[in-house]
Amino acid sequence: MSTPTILVAGTPETLADIGTEYVPASTPTGPHLSAIGIIRSEWIKLSTVRSTIWCFAVLLVVSMGLAAIMSLALDLTGTDIATVPDTDQARFVAQASTFGVFFGQLIVAVLGVLAVTGEFTTGMIRSTLTAVPKRLPALWAKALVLFVTTFVVGLVSSIASYVVTVAIVSGQGLHASLFAPEVILPVLGGSLYLGLVAVFALGIGTIVRSGAGSIAVTLGVILLLPVVLQMIPATWASDVLPYLISSAGISMFGLMQFAKVPLDWSVDLIIVLVWVVLSLGAASVLLKRRDA
Amino acid sequence: MIQAQSLTKRYGSKVAVDAIDFTIQPGTVTGLLGPNGAGKTTTMRMIVGLDRPDSGSVLVNGQRYQDLRAPLREVGVLLDAKAIHTGRSARNHLLAMAATHNIPKSRVDDVIELTGLTSVARKRVGGYSLGMGQRLGIAAALLGDPGILILDEPVNGLDPEGVQWVRKLMRHLAGEGRTVLLSSHLMSEMALTADHIIMLGRGRIIADAPVAEIIGQAGGATVRVRSPHATRLATLLAQAEVSVVNLEQDVLQITGITAAEIGDQAAAAGIVLHELTSLTASLEDAYMSLTQNEVEYRTGGTGDDEFDDSDTTDAAADAAVNDDPDPRETELQEAAR
Repeated sequence: MSTPTILVAGTPETLADIGTEYVPASTPTGPHLSAIGIIRSEWIKLSTVRSTIWCFAVLLVVSMGLAAIMSLALDLTGTDIATVPDTDQARFVAQASTFGVFFGQLIVAVLGVLAVTGEFTTGMIRSTLTAVPKRLPALWAKALVLFVTTFVVGLVSSIASYVVTVAIVSGQGLHASLFAPEVILPVLGGSLYLGLVAVFALGIGTIVRSGAGSIAVTLGVILLLPVVLQMIPATWASDVLPYLISSAGISMFGLMQFAKVPLDWSVDLIIVLVWVVLSLGAASVLLKRRDA
Repeated sequence: MIQAQSLTKRYGSKVAVDAIDFTIQPGTVTGLLGPNGAGKTTTMRMIVGLDRPDSGSVLVNGQRYQDLRAPLREVGVLLDAKAIHTGRSARNHLLAMAATHNIPKSRVDDVIELTGLTSVARKRVGGYSLGMGQRLGIAAALLGDPGILILDEPVNGLDPEGVQWVRKLMRHLAGEGRTVLLSSHLMSEMALTADHIIMLGRGRIIADAPVAEIIGQAGGATVRVRSPHATRLATLLAQAEVSVVNLEQDVLQITGITAAEIGDQAAAAGIVLHELTSLTASLEDAYMSLTQNEVEYRTGGTGDDEFDDSDTTDAAADAAVNDDPDPRETELQEAAR
């Protein structure tokens, strides 16, 4: 900062610019608050902070890296690839392509938390809420934008991971089409789960408001809760396990199973949705009620 | 137009705003004045729905702020310069705000130019000085070309040029028929900018009147007279409603009679005058006398009427001005600043 920036505010002549459209009666006929506008605003907000770019970049790199590691570790020596059924080949490719979701859920959880706690900790929330004083439309728009963006980036990183996987394992004769149901469904399911986890974290962030606190709570629910339950020897613990957001989310696209009798993917999806609805529901009540 | 009716806000057991009523008229600059903790910011936050009143109501153009169809186009608000994400550039911040109301991009560029932020608009707000943050806050408030502007301490952190710019801007906006509400504990700023003052103390309104009237309440005009025959003049003027203070051997400070009357009487009695000066009480004097019992956070030690507002340099300067016994000189110093 060797050269100080000298700011020259508008001269009195330019003051006239403010009032060009001004009608003293103040009857706004022109632009006004709209759902599309609020969504666009939230998109601008999400896409213009570095944390979003970093989180998505890390998601992409980690996802592709894990796919590469898993593919490279595959050793088919002594196996006649011709005897391996197509569905088993496809399952391996799907696992490698979606393995990143296991870590990706932590990344998008942080992203979801930061998307709202960044506003609370900087005071930006006051600007947001004066622009959208009914408050809830801003939360819904934020959730929608976050979900769609995370889903798309999740899909892109899963497909990129698929490409990496196929490039490596085809050397050993393994093949699977992206559009084989064994591949495309997990890829879609994994991306869907990532989008939902981000929204779940958004809710926690709105409830807790502090960045560090929200990340602790969210990662606690996603990461710690399953580990703790698995360590408890009682049967109730293993009964509860499949109903956690991360257990249901991961079994939803077939990476791992936590229930003794595997739940249908639609049941898993409902479980994840219930977590999201609880988090976002509590967030909406508190956002509406609390002083900002 | 902003109307409040028995507006009340409590934080726990502490009453921040205590059943206040006021109407803020268009076409004027209304100053919300009061010591720190008097409830200025809380009142403003309730107007724009950031704080929910515990009882009472406040309406903006006859509607609750939450019910406005285009809030940003009716009310522009600057509550504090830090209500902005530090990781985003000024332009992107304004674009995001504008997007909610479908306000065109050209308007964003207009307010950036108007507030003199063009050269830094694409830099992240985290690196901004307090003054630049304040300009960005003002830019955001002007974004919707609103009929009502609510600005909490708008000159805080601005350089003298910026202070003057904000002052002109406020006057200009009110001149166009807009409603301008600004808060400050800087008397000099209020005296120069506001037409009407609402003075708050401990959450209550202690005065709600035009600036001239508030100053009048502080004791009215004083006249300073310098004469070699000061004692004779003092005896001559001695009446029930006139008070004469002998400041120096040949200087009198007189209240309750106009300079013209003093001149006439002195001439009739053949008394030579070396100086005859009308001194108007300043807003500061009025403020001090009105808020004497309302100051919540008083600095200990000096025993003087000093406020705990040394957090800004302007406030410190104000406090220094405050010690000056001559109200006229106070005005001069303000003009010089």
